[in-house]
Amino acid sequence: MRKPFHILCSALVVFVLLVSCETKKQTIEVNRNDKLKVVATIFPLYDFARLIGGEAVDVSLLIPPGTEPHSFDPRPENIVSAGRAAIFVYTNDTMEPWAGSMLKGLSSPGLVVVQAGRGIALTEEHRPDDGHDGHRHGHEDAPDPHIWLDFDKARKMVDTIVESFISVNPAKKELYLGNAKKLKDSLAGLDQKFSAALKTCKHNTIVHGGHFAFGYLAKRYGLKYISASGFSPDAEPSPQNLVRMSKTLKKEGLKHIFYEELVTSRMAEVIAKETGASLLLLHGGHNISKQELDNGTAFISLMERNLDNIKEGLQCRR
Amino acid sequence: MDILEFLSYGFIRRAMTAGSFIAVLCSVLGVLLVLRRLSLMGDGLAHVTFGSVALGLAMKVYPLYVSIPVVMISSVGILKMIERAGIYGDAAIGIVSSLGIAVGVVIASASGGLNVDILSYLFGNILSIGDAEVYISMFLAALVLLTIFFYFDEIFSMTFDEEFAKASGINVNRINLILAVLTSVTVVLTMRLVGIMLTSALLILPAVTAFQIGRGFKHTLFIAAASGVTSVITGIFVSFCLDLPAGASIVLINFALFFAAFSLRRFNVFHG
Repeated sequence: MRKPFHILCSALVVFVLLVSCETKKQTIEVNRNDKLKVVATIFPLYDFARLIGGEAVDVSLLIPPGTEPHSFDPRPENIVSAGRAAIFVYTNDTMEPWAGSMLKGLSSPGLVVVQAGRGIALTEEHRPDDGHDGHRHGHEDAPDPHIWLDFDKARKMVDTIVESFISVNPAKKELYLGNAKKLKDSLAGLDQKFSAALKTCKHNTIVHGGHFAFGYLAKRYGLKYISASGFSPDAEPSPQNLVRMSKTLKKEGLKHIFYEELVTSRMAEVIAKETGASLLLLHGGHNISKQELDNGTAFISLMERNLDNIKEGLQCRR
Repeated sequence: MDILEFLSYGFIRRAMTAGSFIAVLCSVLGVLLVLRRLSLMGDGLAHVTFGSVALGLAMKVYPLYVSIPVVMISSVGILKMIERAGIYGDAAIGIVSSLGIAVGVVIASASGGLNVDILSYLFGNILSIGDAEVYISMFLAALVLLTIFFYFDEIFSMTFDEEFAKASGINVNRINLILAVLTSVTVVLTMRLVGIMLTSALLILPAVTAFQIGRGFKHTLFIAAASGVTSVITGIFVSFCLDLPAGASIVLINFALFFAAFSLRRFNVFHG
């Protein structure tokens, strides 16, 4: 009596498994039309790839929206989606240290892997610390991976991505190059707006209650920049660093402190409370929320909002 | 910068006040947990909190409203599993905590992403405690101490021999339920305030320090609370002097206190 029951159960389980796999397969077929399938790790790369490819590509963001990429750990579904793609775009081995090992575990010989930050030298960080001996935090000697926040470097990244698109699908070369030119022009426009506006500011120090993401941006426009923690938002700030930040705000007479996207703004709130400053968002662009992704938020518009907030925070005239 | 100026900063004072209350709260609860071989209760429930926060964010409910009941059910579940299924505490905690993580991962994947980073939502930092949270920590500490005070005899006899306590007519289930609820609320709230590392450390280390030199149950509870508070205050000062993160410094001080207590006992200072 028991045996037939067992067999029936096993048969049922196998059947269910087969059916569920079958339906999965069908959805893959639907996605697999003639569009070039691209997987990008972080939001700026996703946005660039989307703009360059236009209608001809199908870009997906590997890191789920809302997840902070520094703390990301790829899951099986991510590896599978990367394996189905024609092109895999990531920044560099410092930003996504997990990418290398993830790709190694992937046996898809046709996959074109693009390191968008190829050929862009990373600066080793030296945090401006008012001359204090404050260089004891985790990632002091580590290179800064946030290259997309230097819009000139971002233009180079666009070139690298477009090259890979053309190599995989030469027929659409004109389209890709045309779109890339538009994107590079708007990045150049952004760069000009930043440098024009940031010359007219009363203050020149960005006090950031998040992790050290805006080193390149600050350097490019001649600003001073201090942040609560190092390159990764996981690193804990020390009490002395918080005191240092409060002092800088008071000394410079700044009325605003910046906080970062997605993670809670508690650190910035603490310093704001201490000094009576108010909070302004400075979006590092690493990733966006699900809501923003659904709304089709673009990198350029995030950066324009950043410029508005920096202008308010540093009291710029234009 | 001198010590007085350091103390003039609000976040340092809040870290010391709320940190001390949290230390008392966790150390005292920790003694009860460690003695019953549930040391990793804090860690395990933290993992359940991850799952419940994901659930709350996906349902668009304030995560704390989901976390507290879910974590309470889980801690009762851990105790029931030990009692009914005859498995040891470490395995029961392991089951519940991996279940919590799995549920969180499934929800985070199924919902196709969230609007905030779950991990940052979970892990507070002792330096970013707000005014209201100082009162929360005071209230919680008072609640736990009063419970232990009122049920002292029951808790004492249960902690050492649950069968004996049952036989002598103590309502073991009710006391267990009360302790499970207190532990859950403590873990969820203190994790939000000081982070999982510090919560877990304060549940284990002051208790084992106290076991080295404590004489009797009351004395042990007192030593645990004192060593917890000492570690928070010294830890914050040390982190200031050496420019280190505060939470990690407190954990290191805790270990130093444990080592000191261990050495004292070894050289028979207390039991000579």
